[in-house]
Amino acid sequence: MAGICDRSKDIGPFVPQADDDLIICRCEEITKGEIRKAVHMGLWTMTEVKRMIRPGMGLCQGQTCSKNVKRIIAQELGVSPAELEESTARPPVRPLEMEVLGNEVEEL
Amino acid sequence: MRIENHPIIDSYQKGKKVKFTYDGKEMEGYEGEPIAAALRAEGVMTHRYTKKLHQPRGIFCAIGRCTDCVMVVDGKPNTRTCVTMLKEGMVVETQYGVEARRTEA
Amino acid sequence: MRRYHLVVIGAGPAGLSAAIEAAKHGMKVGVFDENARPGGQLFKQIHKFFGSKEHKAKIRGFNIGNELLKEAEQLGVDVHLNSVVMGIYDPLHITVAEDDHITSYAGDNILVATGASENMIPFEGWTLPGVIGAGAAQTLMNLHGVKPGDNILMVGSGNVGLVVSFQLLQAGCHVKAIIDAAPRVGGYGVHAAKVARTGVPFYLSHTIVKAEGNEKVERVTIGQVDSHWQVIPGTEKEFDVDTICLAVGLSPMSQLTRIAGCKMVDRGGLVPETDEYGQTSVDGIFAAGDVAGIEEASSAMIGGRIAALAAAKRSGFVTEDEFETEYQNQHASLMKLRKGMFSHENKGRTDLVKTDEGYPLSMSLLKNGYIAEDEIGEYPGVGRTKKVGVHPVIECTQNIPCNPCQDACKFGCIEVGETITSLPVVKEGSKCVNCGMCVASCSGQAIFLVDEEAEEGFATITLPYEFLPLPEKGDKGTALDRSGKAICDAEVTQVRTSGAFDHTALLTMKVPAEMANRARFFQKREGVR
Repeated sequence: MAGICDRSKDIGPFVPQADDDLIICRCEEITKGEIRKAVHMGLWTMTEVKRMIRPGMGLCQGQTCSKNVKRIIAQELGVSPAELEESTARPPVRPLEMEVLGNEVEEL
Repeated sequence: MRIENHPIIDSYQKGKKVKFTYDGKEMEGYEGEPIAAALRAEGVMTHRYTKKLHQPRGIFCAIGRCTDCVMVVDGKPNTRTCVTMLKEGMVVETQYGVEARRTEA
Repeated sequence: MRRYHLVVIGAGPAGLSAAIEAAKHGMKVGVFDENARPGGQLFKQIHKFFGSKEHKAKIRGFNIGNELLKEAEQLGVDVHLNSVVMGIYDPLHITVAEDDHITSYAGDNILVATGASENMIPFEGWTLPGVIGAGAAQTLMNLHGVKPGDNILMVGSGNVGLVVSFQLLQAGCHVKAIIDAAPRVGGYGVHAAKVARTGVPFYLSHTIVKAEGNEKVERVTIGQVDSHWQVIPGTEKEFDVDTICLAVGLSPMSQLTRIAGCKMVDRGGLVPETDEYGQTSVDGIFAAGDVAGIEEASSAMIGGRIAALAAAKRSGFVTEDEFETEYQNQHASLMKLRKGMFSHENKGRTDLVKTDEGYPLSMSLLKNGYIAEDEIGEYPGVGRTKKVGVHPVIECTQNIPCNPCQDACKFGCIEVGETITSLPVVKEGSKCVNCGMCVASCSGQAIFLVDEEAEEGFATITLPYEFLPLPEKGDKGTALDRSGKAICDAEVTQVRTSGAFDHTALLTMKVPAEMANRARFFQKREGVR
């Protein structure tokens, strides 16, 4: 993970690609182009991209897209996807109504 | 779309036949099967239209992970129809964004 | 707070096996699963499993699921369904959403056996209704009895793609093609062959260009890829399909272990780092099954048992010595499965050209999904010398861990030997009584009973048949070769069914003698498939 911490690396300018319109995050409807642009804005980690433009922030919490988002960021940075850290895993791991979350029951 | 005879599976675990409505239209399914299965058997493909681009979505993972198949069920939006079991008299509606009715953007 | 000696998260093959093993050693076990039904993916697996007897070979997945459930129940395991584990907290607590409330449970040990989720690949049109995961297809047709669609394109030629394609055919769907971006079929050759001989074409080195349709999938375009995975212009082909099934690999569902603070490693997806007993970097938290590294259900069941034993040792339910003995047994069983060309260390290799025994691998099987006619004579299950009377022809040509054929023959006609990944050998001069047990017991449906000289000018071929409607004696139709091409007229001379065959019918057809080693499937005249 050392390589991507070096923010002085030159990754070149954003160059539009034919499939930039492709939806990657199905929940939040975030496209490949938006993710690539975010990298060129200086967002070089999964967490930063997620917080800024929301892939993986929808109902499914990145279950479907995170691998693809990771691949796109890695490709843009010129590193292997394995070098990128996942965004933080937090409970609840499934969509849950606040009503249920607030209703804690002590079982004997 | 229902499989009447299967070479390997002798029977499917199912409850009794029940009626439900899909966007006001009466339909039939089996109690205890996912709403999504009943809809697919009736030929319904589109479960919702997305919020931003208003694109149709339907069943994708069918096991409650991807949340693409959510609909408004008995007035409750974002209900995962692939893991919510069908009951008699359920009111199932297409979800537009996060609502049951299309609102102009 | 309710406390268990072992909390198991996930009631799939690994979780249930672990629960059984732990309960056997006196542990109080609670299993939590988010689904309404236990068993994980087992109940969607309607094919016969591979392995040997100890791995429950030749038993169909859903029957294994039923066996495990019954055993867990008898041992007093608490199975909590519709129970979503939201998080794991220090020290070994879980919070669970059940119905309308949240409850916390404590575990002396926690086993995470949450399995895997499907990988999905984006392409133009992939959000259209009708693009589904292969698991979704299995769920709809095998659990709920609903066809996912009528005309289907399968993306992915790994075991999931191949097995689900066959199941789609069994459900009465048309599989228009199986495509894969890789240059070789990824799954077992026998799984590919049983799909190919029904006439499903394979397109290797092909990817999806786009899916199109009004509000739903109506058409798909595929194209051949070059060595950089780019579509070669001019190679595009169109298919009218209503469903596109994605079977492009699995990723471990390891969020809970990350939340728990386990050290993670990237093995084609993040998995918790574990020792050989499934213990993660957090004392008392174990992982087994796909969440600890993608394998198949048979290995997951053993992995679950090993982790349960380790937990039992940790909490003092077994002694060091007992543990060592039982662990060695389980480990030996696991090692039998982890051999051959589909083992961990050979995963993804595309340079293999020979079997462990030195037989050349069928390149046609890897490229087209079926063995070419000039390749088939080589293998020890086929035999080169001319046989008299009915005899088995075993078209098992890759080192896969499986040996039920050996046990099936009461006359010792078939030998696999100690190493269950070895190719089966049909022994010269051995007796065959045409009982058909080998045909029905072969999980890969790769055994045929052939009589080259059944009558003047005609041969008979007995093949495994798992489709409806079942042809009847006297039915006339067409014989298909291994590629699914119609090659000659055929007449059904016998159809055998039996409890011992477990839903695999044995269809015997009569074909011209010269077709004895070419005809491998029967299609009734009306073209019902």
